[in-house]
Amino acid sequence: MSAAPPPVRANSRQDDDIRARAAEPRVRPSRPRRLGARLVSLAITAVVVLAFWSVDIDWSQLAGFPANLLRYLGLMFLPPDLSTLPSAFEATVLSVQMAWLGTVIGIVISLPLSFLATAGVGPAWVRWPLRGLFSLLRAVPEVVIAVLILSVTGLTAFTGALAIAVGSVGTLGKWGYEAMEGAERGPVEAVRAAGGSTVQTLRWGLWPSTAPEVLAFWLYRFEINVRASAILGLIGAGGIGKVLADNVQFRIWDAVGTLLIVVVVVTVVIDLVSGALRRKIITGAWR
Amino acid sequence: MKPRTAWKGLLVLAAVAAVTVWAGFGVEVDVGALIKNFSNAADKIVLLTQPDYWFFPETLAALAQTLQMAVIATAVGAAVGLPLSFLASRVTDPNRPLVAGTRGIMNVVRSVPDLLYAAILVTIVGTGALSGVIALVLFNVGIVVKLISEAIDAVDRGPLEAALATGATWVRADRAAVLPQILPVYASQTLYVLELNVRASTVIGLVGGGGLGILIDQVRTFYRYHQLSLIILEILVVVLLLELASSYLRKRLVA
Amino acid sequence: MDSTSVDITFRGVGVSYPGGVRGLQDIDLRIPAGEMVAVVGLSGAGKSTLVRTINGLVPITEGEIVVGDRHLPASRGRELRELRSEIGMVFQSFNLARRTTVLNNVLMGRLHTAPTWRTLLGAWSKEDVELAMQALERVGIVDKAYVKAGNLSGGQQQRVAIARTLAQQPKIVLADEPVASLDPPTSHTVMRDLERINAELGITVVINLHFLDLARRYGRRLIGLRGGKIVFDGTGEDADEQVFADIYGRSLTGEDVLEARAQL
Repeated sequence: MSAAPPPVRANSRQDDDIRARAAEPRVRPSRPRRLGARLVSLAITAVVVLAFWSVDIDWSQLAGFPANLLRYLGLMFLPPDLSTLPSAFEATVLSVQMAWLGTVIGIVISLPLSFLATAGVGPAWVRWPLRGLFSLLRAVPEVVIAVLILSVTGLTAFTGALAIAVGSVGTLGKWGYEAMEGAERGPVEAVRAAGGSTVQTLRWGLWPSTAPEVLAFWLYRFEINVRASAILGLIGAGGIGKVLADNVQFRIWDAVGTLLIVVVVVTVVIDLVSGALRRKIITGAWR
Repeated sequence: MKPRTAWKGLLVLAAVAAVTVWAGFGVEVDVGALIKNFSNAADKIVLLTQPDYWFFPETLAALAQTLQMAVIATAVGAAVGLPLSFLASRVTDPNRPLVAGTRGIMNVVRSVPDLLYAAILVTIVGTGALSGVIALVLFNVGIVVKLISEAIDAVDRGPLEAALATGATWVRADRAAVLPQILPVYASQTLYVLELNVRASTVIGLVGGGGLGILIDQVRTFYRYHQLSLIILEILVVVLLLELASSYLRKRLVA
Repeated sequence: MDSTSVDITFRGVGVSYPGGVRGLQDIDLRIPAGEMVAVVGLSGAGKSTLVRTINGLVPITEGEIVVGDRHLPASRGRELRELRSEIGMVFQSFNLARRTTVLNNVLMGRLHTAPTWRTLLGAWSKEDVELAMQALERVGIVDKAYVKAGNLSGGQQQRVAIARTLAQQPKIVLADEPVASLDPPTSHTVMRDLERINAELGITVVINLHFLDLARRYGRRLIGLRGGKIVFDGTGEDADEQVFADIYGRSLTGEDVLEARAQL
């Protein structure tokens, strides 16, 4: 249908409008080239294609993979050998103990270090080497640290815990000094002004305002370490990883199934509990 | 108020101490043996501080494979993870059971560490880079879906509502109205996953997954400390370089 | 453009939200094709709900709405999407994807017809881009086509949103408080755009507005809502002080008039 004739007053406004717009000409812009973006996406594509093309993988192997995977999943879970549940659980407990001890030792080492690495607390010649140490330790995977310890002293659950501790110092130290530098300065200055010593300043000025954040980091690191301790078991530190590696080696698949179930359940439960605790610590309320 | 919190603090502290002691017995803490071992091993530690640089050419192939595995796994993991992230967010997926199901499966997938996957896959597809890549992909999909679906949850729903109001299907509306909003986060998290992958792919060979790890396994069985030292140095350099580049790029992406 | 407009008919429409809150009740209303209607009322009176029932963004719980030959709430899935594709919508907060270009936002109006692979890859056909450009020309900001939507001013963003509806080649345009986030001069620009769409393209325009002076000036027909019911339906000239007192349940204040607020 045709448009109803607009009332006169509307028409006059419309003319104003058209005049106003004619004053500044609007031309269709041409599509921008965005050369930089194109180059970046080209480079990324090139790297990925190169990796696929050059890697020493026979991709035809993938053809049988889905069927194979289903077969092995069947072997593992239809049904899992639940008679191994007690021993699987026992091994998992050892892994969790390893993770816990490693986290605690890591905290004991990293806490004073991160105080020293905080701007305004430690002198620069202590601060920067410490920060370098932290980033060095973060760069090395825990497994490599474990391999080092293993090749020097031999690997037990205890040395596994030590490897976890050393691996944790890097992240815990960094998170620690970052949290403390992000804290408000007021309380620190108040304690210092009241004549507090350095240790007193840290304890009563800095710690209260950063404690929730730092505690949450500790818990989060524990969650990471639970996974790390399972991995360390694979290279001989004991616990769930070792039992799993043994069963895989002897192809006792229904036991592997049980172990995987235990790993998933324990990790998920620890994540849930730890996550709830972290929220409680940060927000002050159970969700 | 004050005495109660003090009590609570003490209680928590006591619990932590108890668990620690229990864990200590569990892992059989033996400081004496440790000290003895370390003093015996002092010469080995000295060897470890002296990398054998002439070993470098022999490590090149393994180093390249490590990077190839990391790049491939990142590409596949990010590509597979993106659509799954849209399925796993309440904002972009109107089907509640599907959201819960995707999230649940992803939580399970994520709770198994990458090296555990590799240890099992090695027997299924054989030793080598393929099992390592598959293990990394599994783990990556879990991480990508978690991080990106959380980003989608936080996105402004207005554009999506507008796209749906034009008569678009959910898939099209998600693509047109939500994807552009999360692209910077997606790029940044993909870089983060690449960092994780390079770190993991250096060691995944320890369980047979290819890359530098295979070399680590060889030299440590023959106690070649100079060579082990060089490999670890290489890992350090690669990881630190990548971390530098990645953190620079991620800062630019978020800005 | 040859959009043929369609009538909108409400028959005993009611909306109850979960929890028993009633948004609308007993709405009987006919909006003939090509009309420009302003819906006024206090916030919470059901203006927004009324406008959003027409394209099914708010599902109705009683009665029936007929748009052209389609029926709500009977239309679902594909049928509902087809209905929506014929109805453009402008929102108070513009609802643009701020991180992508103006052109991509306008092209959202083509999502319903383009092939899936094109929409997923963002590889739009020449025809769709042409339509989007024409829509941008109509609202006078075609020069911003390749600018990120988030970098535009509020008024410009709302015009992009109007262009998005035009790219749909709609029969009806709904506007939900389109100028509530804009300053007075920009408000008039946006309102004039909507007015021209109605006058030049014959598209039915239904706008809900908080400001009475705007409603009176641009709406040839005014619908007053109070407590989810229609309390006035007539021309702007018929709407005297008494009528507004009925709609608002009190006499007018500066809060209800755009120009007065501008002077504050």
